[in-house]
Amino acid sequence: MITLRMEFQKIKRKKIGLTMFVLICVQFAWLLWSGSHPDEKERLQGWIETLYSLPLVNVIMMPTIMSVLASRLADIEHKGNTYKLLNTLRRPGALYHAKVICGLFFILALSAAQFIFVIALGYARGYVGHPEWKHYATSFALNLACCLSLYLLQLLLSMLFFNQMIPLVAGLGGSMLGLILMYIKMYSFLPWGGFLSAAQVAMDWNPKTRVIHFYYREYSPVELCAVAAIFVWIVVFYAAGRILFTRKEV
Amino acid sequence: MPTQNLVETHNLTKQYGKIRCVNAVNMQVVSGAIYGFLGPNGAGKSTTLKMILGLARPTEGSITLFDTPVNEKNRMKLLAQTGSLIESPSYYGHLTGEENLRIFQTLKGCSEKDINEVLKIVRLSDARKKPVNHYSLGMKQRLGLAAALLGFPKLLILDEPTNGLDPAGIQEMRELICSLPKTFGMTVLVSSHLLSEIDQMADHVGIIRKGELVYQNTLESLHSHSKEQIALRVSHTALALDLLRQEGIEATQEGGYLLLPMVDDAYVANLCRLLVAQNISLYRIEKREKSLEDIFLSLTGKESSL
Repeated sequence: MITLRMEFQKIKRKKIGLTMFVLICVQFAWLLWSGSHPDEKERLQGWIETLYSLPLVNVIMMPTIMSVLASRLADIEHKGNTYKLLNTLRRPGALYHAKVICGLFFILALSAAQFIFVIALGYARGYVGHPEWKHYATSFALNLACCLSLYLLQLLLSMLFFNQMIPLVAGLGGSMLGLILMYIKMYSFLPWGGFLSAAQVAMDWNPKTRVIHFYYREYSPVELCAVAAIFVWIVVFYAAGRILFTRKEV
Repeated sequence: MPTQNLVETHNLTKQYGKIRCVNAVNMQVVSGAIYGFLGPNGAGKSTTLKMILGLARPTEGSITLFDTPVNEKNRMKLLAQTGSLIESPSYYGHLTGEENLRIFQTLKGCSEKDINEVLKIVRLSDARKKPVNHYSLGMKQRLGLAAALLGFPKLLILDEPTNGLDPAGIQEMRELICSLPKTFGMTVLVSSHLLSEIDQMADHVGIIRKGELVYQNTLESLHSHSKEQIALRVSHTALALDLLRQEGIEATQEGGYLLLPMVDDAYVANLCRLLVAQNISLYRIEKREKSLEDIFLSLTGKESSL
């Protein structure tokens, strides 16, 4: 607990919260721009469509946001050569946990802000009815899991490399890859495609009538495995990060 | 007289690939001492200190701290009684000096009062509210020492603490280190590649060369190696050498000089008469002293940088 408290002390004046806020505002601007003047049909499908578009926005933006978050948290240690002192005061495993939990706090805040924003936006646009809370809650939880898997991957890279350009480029690469994956299939076993697998809603588009129909997905066994892969990545990245961090000589 | 060893290493070895950076080092740091760990750059000083602090894993050998063999379970407990400054100071540049110390104090679990005290000791009280990024190198180094002093540990491990300091800063740091055993009862293990620095600070010395501890004893004992000699420059060196040996004098020839052990003035006068009687001209009579530097070089090898 002390180690975690100190983690928040360390980032004082680093404006990590503000950085995250700015990045999430870009996402909000995107969501505001898309479907800014919904017609009656769109308002009817508004709540379900939100659950379709949110993962698409996340698959593109979250790898970059997570790389920035992990980099900001890890870089303060590299810049100040602090590991050689911290490792004599606390076990490296405890220091790693503190970084993970500190990052998780920001992820929770980001995800909560995101969902509060889209729900508020839905009501402001006059979507018919109310959000289906069960699906929104599931989406929120899976979104959190996807962000966590990416954050753990980025934290591992940020703690391993002194030069933060490497993890940041990896994050940007993840965003690009997510964009490509989006055009291939609505699921992926790769960590960057987790948002696609976790999406609760799929779309049916009729080229003749040009009518878009959104519906809640019935997961096939393969798609369910892709969802499970998100949690497998969490375990893999967490374990790899912990092992590498605790065994690293400074 | 304190006799307990606070630090003991037993055949401590570190190997990176095929290179043995530290080879079977048996170090003994006596309680209350300032132990100067001396060696040329790259000799293995930092690696040895890092292994003692658990920052690097030994390939072979073991470490005993405060009479307790160090293992994974008790490492943190034993390190709680130590303070360290390895190579360069650790700090968060965006935080003030005081905020930095507060983080380390909380993690170390020592009293909050220590922050004020250590800031006073390293003379950073006035700069406590300044972000560390605005500190000079010397101030950062002093902050590093302040962090090491938190909790007033029994053992202080300092790796090249005067690196990057100006002459005044070096002098100040040296005086501070020298005062620690008397003022706070600390034992200091300090490394340096500068002989003069260790000579002015330490009372015990360990000299490491290419990973091997080639000398370990009190500084006084090292000084006793610095013997005086008489050097003679004569016209017929070989003939004179034979003559001196016939007289039972252990003379040696070196660089055109005959080197004799230190003898009194009357004996030197007698030798001169003896040589002149044999038609050997005397050009010079010099008194020579083997300096600490010569001893250090003979131990570490002349090819090593100082």
